[in-house]
Amino acid sequence: MTLLSIRDLDKSFAGARALGGASLEVRAGEVHALMGENGAGKSTLIKVLAGVVKPDAGVIEIDDAPVTITSPADALRLGLRFIHQELSVVPHLSVAENIFLGRDYPRRWGVMIDWDGLNRAAAAVLAGLGVDHIHPARKMARLSVGDQMLVKIATAFQDASVEGGVPARLYVMDEPTAALSAEESQRLFAVIRRLRAAGAGIIYVSHRLDEVMELADRLTVLRDGLTVVTRDIAGLQKLEVIELMIGRRFAEGYPPRLSPVSDEVALSVAHLSTAYLQDVSFEIRKGEILGLAGLEGAGQSEVIRAIVGADGGHDGAISLAGRPVKIDEPVSAWAKGLAFLPRERRQEGLVSSASIAGNVSLPHLDDLVRFGLVLDRAAEAEQAVELGRQVKLKSKGPKQKVRELSGGNQQKVVFARVIAGKPEVLLLDEPTRGVDVGARYDIHALLRQLTAEGKAVVLASSDLPELVYMADRVIVFRDGKVTTTVSTEGLDQAALAALCFGTPTVPSA
Amino acid sequence: MASALKTYGTLIGFVLVVVFFWIEIPDTFMTAKNWLNISQQVSMLAVVAFTMTIVMVMGDFDLSVGSMASLAGIVAALAFHDGYGVGAGVALALVIGLAGGLLNGLLVAYVGILPFVATLGTLTVYSGLAFLVSGGKTIFGRDIPVAFSGFARSGIPFSDTVSVPSLTIVAALVLLVVWFVLEQTTFGRRLYAIGGNKEAARLAGIRVRRLRFLAFGLSGLGAAAAGLMYASRVASANPTQGSGLMLDAIAAVFLGMTMSEEGEPHVLATLIGVLILGVLGNGLTQMSIDSYVREVLIGSIIVLAVATSSIGKARG
Repeated sequence: MTLLSIRDLDKSFAGARALGGASLEVRAGEVHALMGENGAGKSTLIKVLAGVVKPDAGVIEIDDAPVTITSPADALRLGLRFIHQELSVVPHLSVAENIFLGRDYPRRWGVMIDWDGLNRAAAAVLAGLGVDHIHPARKMARLSVGDQMLVKIATAFQDASVEGGVPARLYVMDEPTAALSAEESQRLFAVIRRLRAAGAGIIYVSHRLDEVMELADRLTVLRDGLTVVTRDIAGLQKLEVIELMIGRRFAEGYPPRLSPVSDEVALSVAHLSTAYLQDVSFEIRKGEILGLAGLEGAGQSEVIRAIVGADGGHDGAISLAGRPVKIDEPVSAWAKGLAFLPRERRQEGLVSSASIAGNVSLPHLDDLVRFGLVLDRAAEAEQAVELGRQVKLKSKGPKQKVRELSGGNQQKVVFARVIAGKPEVLLLDEPTRGVDVGARYDIHALLRQLTAEGKAVVLASSDLPELVYMADRVIVFRDGKVTTTVSTEGLDQAALAALCFGTPTVPSA
Repeated sequence: MASALKTYGTLIGFVLVVVFFWIEIPDTFMTAKNWLNISQQVSMLAVVAFTMTIVMVMGDFDLSVGSMASLAGIVAALAFHDGYGVGAGVALALVIGLAGGLLNGLLVAYVGILPFVATLGTLTVYSGLAFLVSGGKTIFGRDIPVAFSGFARSGIPFSDTVSVPSLTIVAALVLLVVWFVLEQTTFGRRLYAIGGNKEAARLAGIRVRRLRFLAFGLSGLGAAAAGLMYASRVASANPTQGSGLMLDAIAAVFLGMTMSEEGEPHVLATLIGVLILGVLGNGLTQMSIDSYVREVLIGSIIVLAVATSSIGKARG
């Protein structure tokens, strides 16, 4: 029986297409894996279901009847429940209170809360999911992340009595195991199987292939916003799934290398360790692009952040052109010729209330000073214009506010900042994420040009083709450790993907 | 229309208030003498509001400025009492202001306490210190040197009958300095970047902690200067005389912020906020209207100004 059917969903953000022909069909009583690379459109699809994003076109049906979901309340009424890795729990309240949040608590004599009754009711809800190790009176904050997740599911599960709505029947779980231990994950899977047995549909999003193969009945693969295929899991090999996800794309659309890599070492990192990273060592030479690959959160961003001192101290040694340097905050990284492009453009990259010129000049203000303290606005504007030209920025001028720019142009502003100080080493964390195709090409061409000038580029990316076609070598991370380093000479995406997933069945390239 | 109201609402409000008093008090309100009088009345508030703008640019607050103003006045008066000269007393009070401000900065930037909480704490501490060192008494009369109290009564002749008061000139100089620092220097640019996005500013190589520390120091310095101006004007110092400054200063900055599209504080806009408060006080006093009415009016104006500038911003 088809529970949910989504057909031909289209959605574009500021000209960049996130979904184009995305379809998904979920049956009652199945776990349906939704797979795809970062940026394939999974999140957008889920947001459409949750009523957070309004699609440009497409049909959503529940029980074969078309529905419109324009708000989270609509989704709730239709029996949809969303479980994210970032949990929205109230940590200072008890498990039972979290489960019954926003509902009438059982009462005693009309006014007093019947705490025993509340805890008993919560215990019953948890027991319904086969969970008996969580005490309902415990404070939520004292639970492990995995147990919090189970309580969250319990909340969704017992959430049957929404005003004018139907009971929960379709659970959407987005990377639920990202922060869970193996044991906690197994508990979660047991609960998911119970939900399935009770006739619910589960849309399960995860980068962890093993999990998906173990848990899911069918999978749907999205690629560039389009549904590529829906298949039964039974009989499917992991490698096939990887190939379905990344497709067979071509080197077209990537600018060619302009110059060879030099022999001189630009940056060397030895035994870098932080709370998350374990003993990371590598060297990068002038004119080289070094890719950092791995699953989401495997350590690529952390390496870059540790090098520029974004998260405070670290163990290990860093040398620039053979000279040891000590960097414990970003200001010293910029001063020593390291330029940093953070992962989250809006939260970490841009001051959106400021102008283009103001954003470009931020780390370089000391170079734009007259009489020791006066900001030379003319020079600042001139710098922004000149660099804007180099990065092919489209704007109304250096005084335009960056929040008025498209995502691609905003990223070019951050790039202009990165190259403004003539850095020796560029540390780029997902530089083309959420950027349209044209801007992406411009950024890639710029990287080629910079390496031709002898700059070294560290490129953390979840976009595998970008790594395969732009980088000279790729370091693969897993759980904060380097697992392997490969040359991209003759490397194909499927092989790189297999290395990221840690699937050993692929011959090393 | 709606967008014009958002940006210019506060300015239009200011003009309306002026026109209202011009009509209601035709003989005395719109005269050079009265405006110079207003400028002197608001000069202490102006200084505090201007330096408060510096911390509010970063998205922070300084609630301790009123107590600091009181404390600075007391410190100077006690120094005079003990025989120190005007220069020494003033310098000591300013140093205390700077040190108190830097202590706020230390708590906020390096210890990591929310500005609201940190400066609420020091508000109480500075106020307590003012009572402690003064014994709770007003210091006045022969203890206050004529050279000190005479400053507030002096001025630069403007015509035969009126002169520009010295306190007005001090406020104007502070305005000029703060405008220069915020709008013309890299220091100011960095503060605005912190206010816009603290994390992005830090990652772009801005020493966020050091700048917050210093900015709070300037706020404390401004508060101490205002305290000295007040003490000079009333030729006395008591441990509560600066207490009204803090709320009015924050109100003035807020009124100014409504004039910016980005909701950023700018010191010239703060000046408009200060003048709105000053003109209301002056006009209503001339019309012999109860001072409580003034408070109701000012509170309403702030809410109204912020409400009009927030139209369409609300979510949820």
